[in-house]
Amino acid sequence: MSARFEFRGLVAGYGGTTILRGIAGAVAAGEVLFVLGRNGVGKSTLMKALMGFLPCREGAVRLDGREIGGLAPPERRRAGITYCPQERAVFDELSVADNLFLTAPPGAAARLAPLAERFPILARRREQRAGTLSGGEKKILSFVRGAIEDHSLVLLDEPTEGVQAENIERMEAVVREQCAAGTAFVVVEQNLAMAERLADRWLVLDKGQVVAEGSGRPERAAIIAHIQV
Amino acid sequence: MDPLVTTQFLNIAFGIATLAVLALGLAIVFGLLGVLNIAHGELVMAGAYAAWIVQSAGLPYALAVPLAMLACGLLGWLIEAGLIRPLYARPFDTLLATWGLSLLLRKTAEAIWGLGYKSVALPLPGTVDVLGAAYPRYRLMLIVLCLAGVAALAAWFAKSGAGTRIKAMVANPDLAQAVGIRTGRLARNAFVAGCALAGLGGVMVAPLTPVHPFMGIDYILESFFVLVVGGLGSVAGLVAGAGIIGGLGSLVSAVADRTAGYTAVLVIAILFLWLRPRGLLARA
Amino acid sequence: MGSWLAHSAAVAVVLVLLPLGLGDFAAYQLALYFLYAIAALGVGLCWGSAGFLPLGQAMFVGIGGYLSGLALIQFKGSALLLVLLPLAALAPGLLAFGLGLILFRGRRETGPYFALITLALSLLAFQIANGWNSVTGGFNGLKGIPGLPGLDDFSHAYWISAAALAVVIAATSWLSKAPAGVLWRAVAQNERRVAFLGFDVTLTKAAVFGLSGVLGGIAGVLYAPQQNLVTPQLVGFTLSAELVIWAAVGGRGSLYGPILGTILIGVLTAELRNTFAYWEVLLAIIFIVVVRWAPQGLVGFALPIVERLRPRPRGPAREAPARVLPGGGAAVAFEGIAASAGPVQILDGLTLAVDHPGITCLIGPNGAGKTSCFNLLTGELPAAAGSVRFAGRAITGLPPTGVTRLGIARKFQIPNVFPGLSVAENLNLALWGARARARDLLKLRLHRWSSPLLRELSERYPFLAEGRNRAGDLSHGERQILELAMALAMEPRLLLLDEPCAGLSPEETHRVIDVIRWARRRLGLAIVIIEHDMSLVKELADRVLVLHQGKLLAAGSIAEIQADPAVRAVYAGGTK
Repeated sequence: MSARFEFRGLVAGYGGTTILRGIAGAVAAGEVLFVLGRNGVGKSTLMKALMGFLPCREGAVRLDGREIGGLAPPERRRAGITYCPQERAVFDELSVADNLFLTAPPGAAARLAPLAERFPILARRREQRAGTLSGGEKKILSFVRGAIEDHSLVLLDEPTEGVQAENIERMEAVVREQCAAGTAFVVVEQNLAMAERLADRWLVLDKGQVVAEGSGRPERAAIIAHIQV
Repeated sequence: MDPLVTTQFLNIAFGIATLAVLALGLAIVFGLLGVLNIAHGELVMAGAYAAWIVQSAGLPYALAVPLAMLACGLLGWLIEAGLIRPLYARPFDTLLATWGLSLLLRKTAEAIWGLGYKSVALPLPGTVDVLGAAYPRYRLMLIVLCLAGVAALAAWFAKSGAGTRIKAMVANPDLAQAVGIRTGRLARNAFVAGCALAGLGGVMVAPLTPVHPFMGIDYILESFFVLVVGGLGSVAGLVAGAGIIGGLGSLVSAVADRTAGYTAVLVIAILFLWLRPRGLLARA
Repeated sequence: MGSWLAHSAAVAVVLVLLPLGLGDFAAYQLALYFLYAIAALGVGLCWGSAGFLPLGQAMFVGIGGYLSGLALIQFKGSALLLVLLPLAALAPGLLAFGLGLILFRGRRETGPYFALITLALSLLAFQIANGWNSVTGGFNGLKGIPGLPGLDDFSHAYWISAAALAVVIAATSWLSKAPAGVLWRAVAQNERRVAFLGFDVTLTKAAVFGLSGVLGGIAGVLYAPQQNLVTPQLVGFTLSAELVIWAAVGGRGSLYGPILGTILIGVLTAELRNTFAYWEVLLAIIFIVVVRWAPQGLVGFALPIVERLRPRPRGPAREAPARVLPGGGAAVAFEGIAASAGPVQILDGLTLAVDHPGITCLIGPNGAGKTSCFNLLTGELPAAAGSVRFAGRAITGLPPTGVTRLGIARKFQIPNVFPGLSVAENLNLALWGARARARDLLKLRLHRWSSPLLRELSERYPFLAEGRNRAGDLSHGERQILELAMALAMEPRLLLLDEPCAGLSPEETHRVIDVIRWARRRLGLAIVIIEHDMSLVKELADRVLVLHQGKLLAAGSIAEIQADPAVRAVYAGGTK
C-alpha cells in the first residue's frame, strides 16, 4: 500500500498522564481506516493528536509523504486534513450556513448541492443558529461541512452519535463516493455495524495501544472481545 | 417641548452615545477576547493627546483621527505581543501587568507633558437650533456619528466574514482552529483594532474635556461598568450598558450633581458585579 | 514554637537598631511607611496566601483612620480611647469579614470580579468621605487630630509604628505557620479540594479578608494621631493601588515581601520623587517586570534559601483524635434523579442504590452520566427532580463541605492535590479537615498529627513519609496515590473514586488496586468506582452498575452484567 496518511509510534497525553503509548496506523487514498475500542481507551485523543491539538512526545505523522507532526491545527487543515470532532462539533452561535461556508474553499457551494438533497434539514434550517439543532443534526452538519471541504484526508470522530439510521446510511454513501474520488478517511466509531460495512482497514485500541488490526471488513468475532464489557 | 428639557434630553443622549463608542474598544478587547486591559483608558488618553498635538501644530483636526488610531494600534500591537499573549489564561496577572502599564503610560505622559490640563479647542464651534434649544454643533455631530458608528460596527460584526470568524473563535476556539482559522493572529488583530478604537474615542472627547495624564482612569472604569452591566459579547449588551450607565449618570447629575451621578453609577456597578456579573444581556 | 520566638526576636532587634543608624527625621518618615507596610501585609495575605486580590485595601485603612480621628477629637484625653481605638481597628475587619461572606458565598472561582468589586467599593468610599462634610470634613479632611495621649511627641512616632509592626509580624507569622495558614495557601491552590476535605471555603476566605481588614484598620488608627490629619485620599484608589504594587514588588507570597516592598519603595519614592522625574516611570516598569517575570517579587530571589533553612517540625508525633461521624450507615439511594447541563439532559430519572459495604463499579459509555452521578451526590450538580439519600438522611443539594462532613470522600479523575504544599501538609489537611475544630487550626502542634492508617499507608508508599517534598514535584502516579491517601486519611464511610488508575503504568495500577482492596478490609467502607478498564472492574467489583443515557441500565455481578443482552447491545453499538 502506498500510504496517503500514516502515523507511527505516537506517544501523547495530558500533563503527566500518558494516553497514547506508541500507536501506528496507515491509510491509502480511497480507503477508510476505522479506529475501534471501548470508550476511554484513547480514540478521541488519537484524533486530537493527528489534528495537532495535542503535541506528541514521540512519533511521526505523514500526509502524502510530507511530515506534518510539527504543524498547528490550522496549518494541518491547509495541508489537506478535514477534522470533524466528537464533541462541540459545530459553532452553536453561528447559523447553519455560516457553519458550512465560514472557511470553505472555492467550489464548496457547488459541492453542497447534492449533499443538501440528501440532508434536506440543512437547507430547511439554513438561516437558523446551529445551537438549535439536535445532537444528531449537529453531527450531520459537521459531517457535511467536512465533506464540502473536499480534502485529501478526513478525520471523523464518532460521526453517527445520535444520528438516525437512514441518515447514517446516507453518510455512508457520501463516504463511499468520496473514497471513489480518492479521499482517505480515518473514522473513530463505537458502532461496529458501520465498520463492518465500510472499513478497508481497522485497528482496535485498548489502554492506549493497538491490540488488534487488520485489513478488509473486520470480523465481529475477532473484535468483540476487545470492545465488550 | 421646553428647550431646557430638550437640552437635558440631548445631554443624556450625548452621554450614552459617547460612552458607547468609548466602551466599544473595550467591548472587543474584554467582551470578546476576555482580556482585562486596564491600560485601555490610557489609550483613550493617548488619543486625546494626539488631538492636542495635531491642533497645537496647526494641522487640520481630522488628521488627529488617523494619527491617534495608528499610534494606539501600534501600542496595542506591542502590548499584545509583550504582555497579553505571554500571560494568556492568567487573568490576575493580565490585570496587574496592564495595570502597571497604565501607570507607566500615565507617568510617561506626565513626564513629557506635565500634570497641567491641556485644552483642545472645538473643531466645530457654534450651536444648532434643535426644537427651540440652542445645542452645541460639535456635540450634536458626535451624537449622530457615534450612533452611526455603533450601528455600522454592529452591522459589520453581524454580516462580515471577519466578524463571523471572530464569533467562531470566541465560541469554540478548537473548532475554529480545526477549520483553519489562525486564532492567534485573529485575536491579535482584534486586540489592535480595539486599541485603535480607544484612540479614536480620545480624539472624539478631547475638545470636551480637559486633557491630562489621569483622564484614562475614568474612561476605563466607566467603560468597564458599561460592559459589566450590559453583558459581554453582544452589541445589544453594549448599548444597554451604555444606556444604563450613561443615562443614569447623566440623569442623576442633572437632577442632583455630578458627584451624585458618579456615586449612583458606582452603586449600580457594584450591585451588578456582585449579583449579576454576567450582565443583562450576556452571550449564551 | 522555638523558631517562631527566635524569628520574632530578630524582627524586634532590627526595629530597635534601625533608628540609631538613621537619625530622627528619617525615623519619623519611616514610621509612616511602617503603617503602610502593615496595610500592605494584609494585601499580601489575601493575594499571596489565600489567592484573591483585594484592590480596595485603602478603604479599610481610611475607615480605621476616620474612626480613630473622630474618637481622638471627640474624646480627647479620655480613658475611653483605650476601648474605642481598638474597636476602630476592628471595625474595618468586621466590615471586610462581612463583605467576604456575601461576596465569596456560592462562588468557587474568585476571579477578577472580586478584585473589581473591592476597587469600586474603594472608589465609593472616597465619594462618601469626600461628600459627607459634616462627619469627615469633606475634601479637606479631618484636621487637628490630637496625638495619642501621652505619646504625642514627634519622637514617639517611630516607636509606636515599630511596635505595631513587630506585633503584627509576630501574630501573622504565627498564623501563617499554624494550620490556618496552611489552609489559606490550600484555598489559593485548589478550592474544590479544600471543600472536599470538609472545610468551609467561604468562611476561610472571609476570615483572611477580615484579617486583612483589621491590618488596614490598625494602620489607619495609628495614622490619624501620627499625621494629625485624615483626608479622603486615605480611602481612595491611589493608595489602594500603591499597596498592591508594594506588595507585588516586595513579594506577595511571603510575609516579609510586602513589608520590605513598602518600606523600600516608599523611602525611595520619598527621596527620588522630586529629583528624578522618571522615577515613577521606572517604578511602573519594575512593577510590570515583576508581574511578568518574577511573580514572587524581590523576596522570591531569597525564597529557595529560606525554604532550605526552614526547620523540620520537631517533637513526637501526636495521635490525631478519632473521627466522629453522625450515625446512619453508608447507604446511598438515588430516587428519580434528573439533572441537566445547559440544554443537555445528563441524568434522566436515575434510580439506584448502593447499600452494602464493598466495591461497586459504575460503568457505561461516554456521556452515560457516571461522573455526573458523583457530582450530584456531592452537591456540585443541582438536581432538577428526585432525591438523594445518604446515611439515612436526605442530602439533595447539600454542598461538598456538608457532604464531606457526613463521611463521603472523593478522589477526582485528574489528580487533585495542592501542588504548592508539601506532601505532609497535603496529608495533614486531610486529617484536620475531618477532625479539627475551627479554633484548633491556630495550634502549631496539629502539624504533628498522625494516624495509624496514615502510618500503614506510608509503609506501603514510602514517599508519603518524605513529607517535605512538594506535591507538585511528585510524578503523576504518586500524585494519584497521594490523593487516594488523603481521601483514606479522612476515614470516610463512603469513598468515591473516578478512574483511580487513569494514566498509571501497569505496576502503579497494581499498587493502587492493592490499596483499594486493603482499604476496604481495613476500614470496612463502601467504595464506588467509575472505571472504563474492564480488567480492573473484573478484579475489583463486588457489584456493577451500568449507566446508559442518564438511566440505570443494569445492576448485578460481573457475570450477570456480561450476560445481559441490553448491556451487550449498548457496548456493540448496534442499537443506538
